[in-house]
Amino acid sequence: MADITSSKTSAKAFAFGTVAATGWYATTSALLAAPLDYFIPIGGAVTLAGLIPILLNRHAVRQQANIDNVALTQRLGVLDRHVMVNVVDTNHCVSEANDQFLDVTGYRRDELIGKPVKILYCESNGQSKADEIRGTLLRGETWQGETPLRRKDGTVMHTHTTVIPLFDAMGEWTGSIAARTDITRTKKLLAEQETMETLEELRDDIWIVDADSERFTYMNRAAMRRTDWTKQNYKEKSLGDIAQDRGAKAIVSACRELKENGEGMTHFETVLKGKPFYASIKLLRVKNAEDRFLILLNDISDRLAEERKKSDFIAMVSHELRSPLTSIKGSMGLLLSNATGELPDKALALLGIAHRNADRLVLIINDILDLEKISAGRMDFDLQDSDMSELVRETNHATEMLQQRFALKVETKGIDKPLPIKTDSTRIIQVLTNFMSNACKFSKPNGKIVIEVQQLDESLRVSVTDEGPGIPSSDHHKIFERFADLENSDRSSKGGTGLGLSICKAIVESLGGTIGFETEENVGTTFYFVLPQAQCAEDGDRAEEEFREAS
Amino acid sequence: MINLLHVEDDADIREIAMMALGISGEFAIIQCESGDEALSEVENSTPDVILLDMMMPGMTGLQTLQHMRKMPHLAEVPAIFMTARTQQSDVDELRAMGNVEVITKPFDPMTLSDQIKEAMAKIDA
Repeated sequence: MADITSSKTSAKAFAFGTVAATGWYATTSALLAAPLDYFIPIGGAVTLAGLIPILLNRHAVRQQANIDNVALTQRLGVLDRHVMVNVVDTNHCVSEANDQFLDVTGYRRDELIGKPVKILYCESNGQSKADEIRGTLLRGETWQGETPLRRKDGTVMHTHTTVIPLFDAMGEWTGSIAARTDITRTKKLLAEQETMETLEELRDDIWIVDADSERFTYMNRAAMRRTDWTKQNYKEKSLGDIAQDRGAKAIVSACRELKENGEGMTHFETVLKGKPFYASIKLLRVKNAEDRFLILLNDISDRLAEERKKSDFIAMVSHELRSPLTSIKGSMGLLLSNATGELPDKALALLGIAHRNADRLVLIINDILDLEKISAGRMDFDLQDSDMSELVRETNHATEMLQQRFALKVETKGIDKPLPIKTDSTRIIQVLTNFMSNACKFSKPNGKIVIEVQQLDESLRVSVTDEGPGIPSSDHHKIFERFADLENSDRSSKGGTGLGLSICKAIVESLGGTIGFETEENVGTTFYFVLPQAQCAEDGDRAEEEFREAS
Repeated sequence: MINLLHVEDDADIREIAMMALGISGEFAIIQCESGDEALSEVENSTPDVILLDMMMPGMTGLQTLQHMRKMPHLAEVPAIFMTARTQQSDVDELRAMGNVEVITKPFDPMTLSDQIKEAMAKIDA
């Protein structure tokens, strides 16, 4: 048998010793007798796939090889150096392995011989694949396919493998022999090729630019179409060649800024050759390679067109619904004020109902329009120096009718002095009015509502507390959801749209604040928001940006 | 008396505004149903204030006022838009024209005259 400890002499010993010992002789002879044309090159490697049918035939008939020993040694040497070969005995232990196998897997011969073959398996599918191979071999058939192997250092390699059952002269099964070709690199290349093909087909423009020279190193098809460059000439171009376009100028500046900062990613909207794009730029830093910019340009003209349509729709609905409401409310308002003469009490009462419901319709339309603005990220904010005490007083005044309707008493606390804050006063009144409206609707008649402003460190906490039934714990998580379906809320009788609090949340958060509630069943509920007094947003734009994120 | 030119395509709203402003007795009102009609009306007259609907078929309220602003005698006349479009950016855009204020629809007929006087005072200030 071959010397299993000496790797220097093992190649020859492996070849001759093993040939003499077992059916490998027949197998190897059959392998060598086959024309070399049957080796199919794949990505620079050689697979044994094409060889197998011939091999099987030859093996099956146990053809007596009549090959010159020298030629045999040479051929075995070539094979031995190229293909990984190992033999497994009936106990599923490795009994032979050639130098190539040891080189590639990283094992020494003494570490492998006699060890269960399963140490080479990968955990993910190793056992099931081994069972599949074993089943095939026990039927006397050859197994062929891809097998992952775990190297000694734990890394995984991929092999194309042919496993043939071995039989002794009596026809008894003595184990199996496997010939493998390392296809790890081939697989990687194929995967890379697939990735590149996918990038080529993408609708988005992809540019890869060398960070130092600013030259283009890759452009997909869409990018070439956009720039009117070709595969032949884009590598001669640099960012400087596009910098005259205003939108491209922004891309160039962003790249240079990223390089200066040394890392990171940036996103922004820009216009390139008259088309709007969403640009994403990442500085790629890879060890032992030049820094590169990965630039992805997503054409957003369709999205913007959709947004324009939506915006036009909002304007149209806003106008079309509010115009008739103006007439309805205006007519009823004039009648109620006796501008056309005294009306009987019953008529006034009915008109009052109609007028209140027209008001309700206005609120519903406003909520729906606000929701549309939130969804489209188009709600405007007008940040001005304001006084929270004044905003609370205004809200209290604006909800007087509602308070009277429900016979409620309102107490204000903490508004006896000016409380400066930079915020959008109209939107804050909208939030407070919503809190007040809920408090009025859910309070018991003759109950009390408390509006309180508390000065915190650099912020203000504004709360509205009612003595209503409280909110069941099962509903707490739904409170700020749109159209929240709450137990005991009886929305239809209370007259809400189910949108108010979700709109409040979006408004408060986009103004840099937080919103919340505290509640106890059968005691009452407090809704509150906390807003920083010095609004960190420099102007409305920042607030709008936050609003988009919040929504 | 305040000479007010009201430009509004919706006949119902014109009637309500006429009644609402008539109660106070402080306004002399001329009404037009389109921008074109309003431009003809002001060729030889100078109202104290122009009340404009924003969205009208044909010439919008904004376009009507832009034309009026080109007429020397109307270059600085106070204008008040009545609009359902209440986006702050829209309001800012209108105010940027100068001597412009905005009243939101639906308006309260009982306070309309006060709202117009307040808006005129704001423009004056």
